[in-house]
Amino acid sequence: MTTVADGRSAYDQSTSHRRPSEPPPAIPPGALPAAVLTLIWAGAAAVLGLWWVNTSTVSGTGAWLTDAGRITGLLAGYAAPLLVLLMARLPFLERGVGADRLTRWHAMGGRYMVGLVLAHVVLIIWGYALTDGKGLMGETVDIVFNYPDMLKATIGTLLLLGVAAVSARAARRRMRYETWYYLHLATYLSVALGFAHQLSNGADLVSQPLARVAWYGLYLGTIAVLGWYRLFVPFLADRRHRLTVAEVRPEGPGTVSVILTGRRLDELKAESGQFFRLQFLTPGLRWASNPYSLSAPVTSRYMRFTVKDLGGHSAAVARLRPGTRVRAEGPYGAFTAARRRSRKVLLLGAGVGITPLRALFETLPAAPGDLTLVYRASRPEDLLFRSELEAIATARGARIHYVIGARREVGEPLTSDNLKRYVPDLAQHDVFLCGPDAMTATAVSALRAAGVPRRRIHHESFTF
Amino acid sequence: MRRIIVSCAATISGVVLLLSLKPHSTATTSSASISTGSSQSSSSTAGGTSASPSPSAGSSSSSSSSGSGSSTSARTFTGTAAQTRFGPVQVKITVKNKKITNIEVVEYPSDNPKDQQINSYALPVLNQEAISAQSAQIDSVSGATYTSDGYVSSLQSAIDQAGL
Repeated sequence: MTTVADGRSAYDQSTSHRRPSEPPPAIPPGALPAAVLTLIWAGAAAVLGLWWVNTSTVSGTGAWLTDAGRITGLLAGYAAPLLVLLMARLPFLERGVGADRLTRWHAMGGRYMVGLVLAHVVLIIWGYALTDGKGLMGETVDIVFNYPDMLKATIGTLLLLGVAAVSARAARRRMRYETWYYLHLATYLSVALGFAHQLSNGADLVSQPLARVAWYGLYLGTIAVLGWYRLFVPFLADRRHRLTVAEVRPEGPGTVSVILTGRRLDELKAESGQFFRLQFLTPGLRWASNPYSLSAPVTSRYMRFTVKDLGGHSAAVARLRPGTRVRAEGPYGAFTAARRRSRKVLLLGAGVGITPLRALFETLPAAPGDLTLVYRASRPEDLLFRSELEAIATARGARIHYVIGARREVGEPLTSDNLKRYVPDLAQHDVFLCGPDAMTATAVSALRAAGVPRRRIHHESFTF
Repeated sequence: MRRIIVSCAATISGVVLLLSLKPHSTATTSSASISTGSSQSSSSTAGGTSASPSPSAGSSSSSSSSGSGSSTSARTFTGTAAQTRFGPVQVKITVKNKKITNIEVVEYPSDNPKDQQINSYALPVLNQEAISAQSAQIDSVSGATYTSDGYVSSLQSAIDQAGL
């Protein structure tokens, strides 16, 4: 930590003269997600059309089953690269759709794809068995060992089912996030192994040159995009910005702030409310890239993240030494001032959810009296950034309400009546919400009951 | 849970709908036949198929072995239908003076354009090779592995019946 004569660190020195950042032009909310979904459905329709033009008759039980197997196989083969693309950290997707929504789409789509793969396997084996007059067991053995590229595809399918099993909520609750993350990487291998058999056995691809070209394009394009945004861009950013840990300071019980320093950080164009995925290049943390929210606006030399100690990985972060190199991917997240529609804004946070709200509280454009912060915590010592928040409130004429007390003692304080008492004209506000899932669910119902329309309630939820 | 049920039901009904919109009869297509032989004046080339149904072929895939006599010294032998992944292949040979003079493929996979396209170039080649080799020891046609295997198997069965 670099300190100067009056005891304040270099970071604190630099931030005392900071100006709020310019808000970027607003994008119409919902336009990009709708467009992306439309594209995805259109692609699925095209894939089904491929089956349609290649099939003249469907006669006999064997053919019904085999053709149903072809349809499910085509859809699964189309879904796989799409699911990878959703997670490829494409900037326009991350900014326009939002990392949390992308993750949910990926999770739902992933479960659906596993279902498609299972259906495909069963239908094809059964259909072939009927056509060939063989038993199911004999047909399975024949397919796996005698058909081209089927051994690879079988291994890929087993890998996929294994990953699906450990990704179920019941299993995830029992393992650390990092463990699950590394296991999930096996899906890359699974998709790669399954690719060849589609082109050598897929009745609708085998002799259709145009379709083959499109299929290669889809898969190779996905690999290219992945390599660019997940490997090359972070590598370049690392060389340009040279991020290292400047300071790790405790903020409250079980919570630390990590301050990173680097060069030309304003080029990252990070907005308040966004987060980065940080990879600390130190033994034990090197292979994980996990999300951290910005708790203050980014300057050209410093970024501050605040993270709650959730055990394992986060505990190791609290012990980071200054000077440790850091690779940062981002900024990500659509929880920004760009989503706001009204003049008046309420920031509603609980626990460590105050982190992005603390940054928004400083930079969200608002006239004096139009900005309110409601901060919910179980105990007074759980409040983070108290002195900073009060300094900001004084400087820009914003209001803060602290709502303290454990639920079992004071009941549920986030009711629509209470919220209307803190914020009299609540229905004219945009609300930015951040906190544990139970709290956000309660808050959303209370806000709706108080008359805030759904499209003016903004929150990011990362559970899937 | 509700989402799972809805998406499953929607997928199943969608697939069933797609399948049911296609025609389900094969009576007009599976009995098409291709034949090549030195005694024929017209020969089918790689681009065409003859659409005349063969009177001796049935559209079912039951194995039938029959030799039929005719007024000339030529005799025909129909091999057992060989099951391939894409459908049955059945071959009928005409034998005169202990030589195979004509081969007719009375049944072959033709349910979809891909099968028809593959077999329209593969079968004449196989016919020609078999007549040249006067046996079933012929090479497969590349790109038509399954049909070639089925063809050879059915041809061998017909040759065995003819006692060649």
